[in-house]
Amino acid sequence: MNKTIIININGIVFHIEEDAYEILKNYMTDVKRHFSNSADSLEITTDIENRVAEMFNELLAAENKQVIVEQDVHTIIEQMGRVEDFENLEDETASANTQYTDAPGTRKLFRDPDDHLVSGVCAGIANYFDIQPLWIRLAFALSFFFAGSGLLLYIILWIVIPQAATRTDRMAMKGQKLNLQGFKDNLEEELSSVRNHLNNLHQEARPAIYKMRDFIGDLLMHLNLFFMGAGKIIVKIIGFAVLLVFFGFAIALIAMLVAIIGFHSGPQGLFPFSIIANEHADRIYFVAFVAAFIPVVTIIIVIITALFNTRTINRSIATTLLVVWLCSLGLLIGLAVNVASHFRSTGKISQVTNLKATPDNVYYLKLNDVKYLTHDDSLRLNVKGNFNGMIIKNDDNEYDEPRNVNINIQRSDVSHPVLIETFIAQGSDDADALLNARNTTYVFLQQDSVIKFDDKLRRLENAAWHDEHLDITLQIPLNAKVIIDQDLDNRINLDGVNIGDCKNLNKQDNATSATFIMMDNGLQCKIDTVVTVKTKAQIDSARRVENAKTIARLQAQVDSARTADSLQKKK
Amino acid sequence: MIVENTQTQMRKGILEYCILSIIAKGETYASDIIAELKKAQLLVVEGTLYPLLTRLKNNGLLTYNWVESTSGPPRKYYVLADEGRIVLEQLDKTWKELEFAVHIAIGDRIPPATEQPTA
Repeated sequence: MNKTIIININGIVFHIEEDAYEILKNYMTDVKRHFSNSADSLEITTDIENRVAEMFNELLAAENKQVIVEQDVHTIIEQMGRVEDFENLEDETASANTQYTDAPGTRKLFRDPDDHLVSGVCAGIANYFDIQPLWIRLAFALSFFFAGSGLLLYIILWIVIPQAATRTDRMAMKGQKLNLQGFKDNLEEELSSVRNHLNNLHQEARPAIYKMRDFIGDLLMHLNLFFMGAGKIIVKIIGFAVLLVFFGFAIALIAMLVAIIGFHSGPQGLFPFSIIANEHADRIYFVAFVAAFIPVVTIIIVIITALFNTRTINRSIATTLLVVWLCSLGLLIGLAVNVASHFRSTGKISQVTNLKATPDNVYYLKLNDVKYLTHDDSLRLNVKGNFNGMIIKNDDNEYDEPRNVNINIQRSDVSHPVLIETFIAQGSDDADALLNARNTTYVFLQQDSVIKFDDKLRRLENAAWHDEHLDITLQIPLNAKVIIDQDLDNRINLDGVNIGDCKNLNKQDNATSATFIMMDNGLQCKIDTVVTVKTKAQIDSARRVENAKTIARLQAQVDSARTADSLQKKK
Repeated sequence: MIVENTQTQMRKGILEYCILSIIAKGETYASDIIAELKKAQLLVVEGTLYPLLTRLKNNGLLTYNWVESTSGPPRKYYVLADEGRIVLEQLDKTWKELEFAVHIAIGDRIPPATEQPTA
């Protein structure tokens, strides 16, 4: 009693025993695979199937039975022929009609995964040229010594040549025919090699170099696993640190926005921000905040997503953020252009002041250290009441704007000093620029021989910065002695005057001022060696006298102590 | 090996000619062709015939008609196409020449083939 299966061959139903079915199925699979490379495979296999069905029918009718048994299948296979029988005839006729992906015998370059020392590059090349891999390996090993060029070549080949991953690749690599017989050969070859491999493994007969390679491979694999684990943790820690930094950024940005817009405290007066006209300020700060805040938030979200494997940000939210960011960027650029348009023209105003000449022809140039107070400031501080008769010193050290005062000292053609002030400012047009230049205040004072300069040009309170600056030309009569304070140099640009160098020449490094003389060819440093040498000699002698006195006093103390000591001993 | 190879080549060379000749006699079923070829010991298995027939059909030398069968699925009966007829005439001519050439070459070294050659 045998189990039967009902099968359908092109519309005709057969009862077939299970064993017989298995054989038939294998046979048809072989046939289909054999013709799979042919363009007409479907037609040919259908023809064969039809013929098989017909033969079954004939067999069943002849023997007057209902079920196909193993013997019947063998009979029809005998008649139809095995796949190997097809081969004989197909070999050459087939090449005219069937499509082989590769003509038999051509080899393809692959890295050989079965016979590799490192990556199989050498074995692959050896396969391609059908020679022993040993020679290729030897050649590569030698080429390593030529400045490592072989190593580079090897790495490139490693990257470029694909590994023979499939059986087809491996067969193409060895130039085997891509057909059923080839597959069978290849499989048998592989099986035998695996068998040998196992035997060798058992006998420990593998070459030492392979064992070494396996050992290194294992070692690298374990190291790799270790670093992968450790690396993940390190990456997470770094990611967390970066996340915290960006959180800090975000909070700082919010704090800045609140401070600037909410409390109107902040950098309005400070240089780069003072460019912004007040009417735009809040808008610009807000837009700039949005433009900076969105990328920071995006980075934070991306890091969180990467760190905690959470879901990525919703697409619509992302799009909205992007659009808002682009808008804010556009607005920011627009406002920047608007601000920049206030710098289109330059206006200049000059003003000449004649200063009084001094009888001894000596002029002291100093920094005006009296605090500049506007009328409003005076009222606010109630200067008349609280600080009457006192001087409010200018002690604030804020460099909230770039230095905007230049002094150029020249020779005067007349016998008294002349001061020429040139006010320069930018504006959206000429009139605006002139107005901006006009809306400034500068204070200088002459008190007999002392000329005091303010350290900066002041513009109207709350007015935007328009690159207002002041060029002062001070003309000094010939042979006049000019003593310039170090402080002045610290706060004002003095063209062509080097206080530090001149102090060296004056031999007065610690002085707070340097002495110059107006010569025909301009202001020159006054070199006065005699005075310094004399002073130094005096100091030295004074110090010597002082030292002598100290020594004498100490000696006296020691002597008296000794006397007292000897008196006690006598007692 | 060399002998086998030469035999295969010789058989292959005349196989198509024989198939066309058999079909030229009239509508023929594949198994009939096989029976004839088996008798001539050119082909032993049917499986080999189908790819050849398909190829000849694709080259326009053959066509076929479906004919209902009492003992199974419909059968393909092959007939010679016009082009096949022309090719066959050329092959006939070539065969005559070959026969003559081979006859001259062999001389009376072997006796002429009988209906059933000794295998």
